[in-house]
Amino acid sequence: MTPGFRRTLALRLTNALLALLPPHLRDWGLAIRFELETIADDRDALRFALGSLLSLAPRAFAFHLLMPLTHLVGAEAHPMEATPMTDLPDDLFHRPRLFGLTCGIGAALLGLGYMTMADAPGRYLMVQSLALVLGLALAGIVGRSDRASSGGVMMVLASILLATSLTGAGIEGAHRWVGIGGLFVQISLIVVPSLILAFARSRNSLSTVAMIVTAAALAAQPDRAMAGMLAAGVAVAALHRADRRTVIALAASVTGFAVTLWRADTLPAMPWVDQIYYSAFAIHVLAGLAVMLGTVLLLAPALVGWRRDEANRASYSVFGAVWLSAIVAAALGNYPTPVVGYGGSAVIGYLLSLSFLPKATPSCIGVELPTERRKDEADHHMCIGIAYSH
Amino acid sequence: MARNRTLSPHARALLAILLEARGEWRHGYDLARMAGIKSGTLYPLLIRLEKQGFLEAEWQAPVEEGRPPRHAYRLTASGVALARDNPLTVAASPLKPMRS
Repeated sequence: MTPGFRRTLALRLTNALLALLPPHLRDWGLAIRFELETIADDRDALRFALGSLLSLAPRAFAFHLLMPLTHLVGAEAHPMEATPMTDLPDDLFHRPRLFGLTCGIGAALLGLGYMTMADAPGRYLMVQSLALVLGLALAGIVGRSDRASSGGVMMVLASILLATSLTGAGIEGAHRWVGIGGLFVQISLIVVPSLILAFARSRNSLSTVAMIVTAAALAAQPDRAMAGMLAAGVAVAALHRADRRTVIALAASVTGFAVTLWRADTLPAMPWVDQIYYSAFAIHVLAGLAVMLGTVLLLAPALVGWRRDEANRASYSVFGAVWLSAIVAAALGNYPTPVVGYGGSAVIGYLLSLSFLPKATPSCIGVELPTERRKDEADHHMCIGIAYSH
Repeated sequence: MARNRTLSPHARALLAILLEARGEWRHGYDLARMAGIKSGTLYPLLIRLEKQGFLEAEWQAPVEEGRPPRHAYRLTASGVALARDNPLTVAASPLKPMRS
């Protein structure tokens, strides 16, 4: 790459950013574009342009996407000023849980769109919608609780999982479900993601035992997808902090996963649940795109958090590993496609696992303005008060 | 009355550099270098500080012919107070240690 090319590329990137930015941010786009002229080194200029583009382009896209919504809800959208709606994306990026919930809702709605196009039974759509509502309610409760990641709670959840393995409903030799009101609920999909994230956050003797019980339960079921999720999540947690308890939990989860690989898993694929990454595009290109976009949304909280909140990268990477492993399992075998495929357990499990992400990132200026100023500039309050509270 | 909360190390570093400038105007690239932060972190911070009334921004005429104007920044009175209330601590600083 020649120096001339770098400079040209930097100029093009800043020009593209300028074209993307909404009117109220255009001065800033010009500021970046003109600042480039003062940077002598081409490599530095390209870095400067690329960094600016990567951080401001998502805001610009969000602004353009939300503008029609702003008009729909009747909010005033002066062309030269930011409104609360235009600040919403920025606010979301700094609230990992809220951003995650938005992604989860988006993925679930895209999943409902896919199921509608795929002619899924109306009952499935209703169950999925109810799971979304229930998941949001549970996430709200768990998110407010200080005891969610305590070793005692983790032991209770791991014991319920073990009881499911020993006494739960069996299909083709697999014991993963509990029958509730005519529905088969996969307990592991609800509790295991949260258990892994709780362990990554708080590692003590009891939580380590809970991990061992979870690994044993998944091996007993057997469930390769969930055992793989457990091993992947704990392995990523160990990469960030490899203390004795984490190593013990990792050994247990890898052993559990190895047992599931050794044991036969002959469950056939279920329509609207398994193998939909392959079948959705055959139904309609929009159905395929809905499934793919929904899947990307599931990982978005991890990707955005990793980029924006360096202090809590361990949480985001464990969250990403947990859900990426579920997606990979669904792509490789007859395992539920999380959230976008039919299955309320995954919807609830995903929303619950968001409760273990930080509430807010430290990147937002966190100072409250005097009352009289707030009255004049109501749009500011979206960003104010987001402190580094995690 | 304004209530202070914890700011990110990058925000503190930026505020510290602007406070050191004692009312002098500063430019984006210089701020990024002096505060040790990337442009992708700098501009969202500047935008937010300006929106919240902690920062003034103005366009300055080019000092050389053929050069474009530059956007310059300095703290407002409330920005100065904010910077003083949130000093940069050594442990939280994104600035790289320099050899003397």
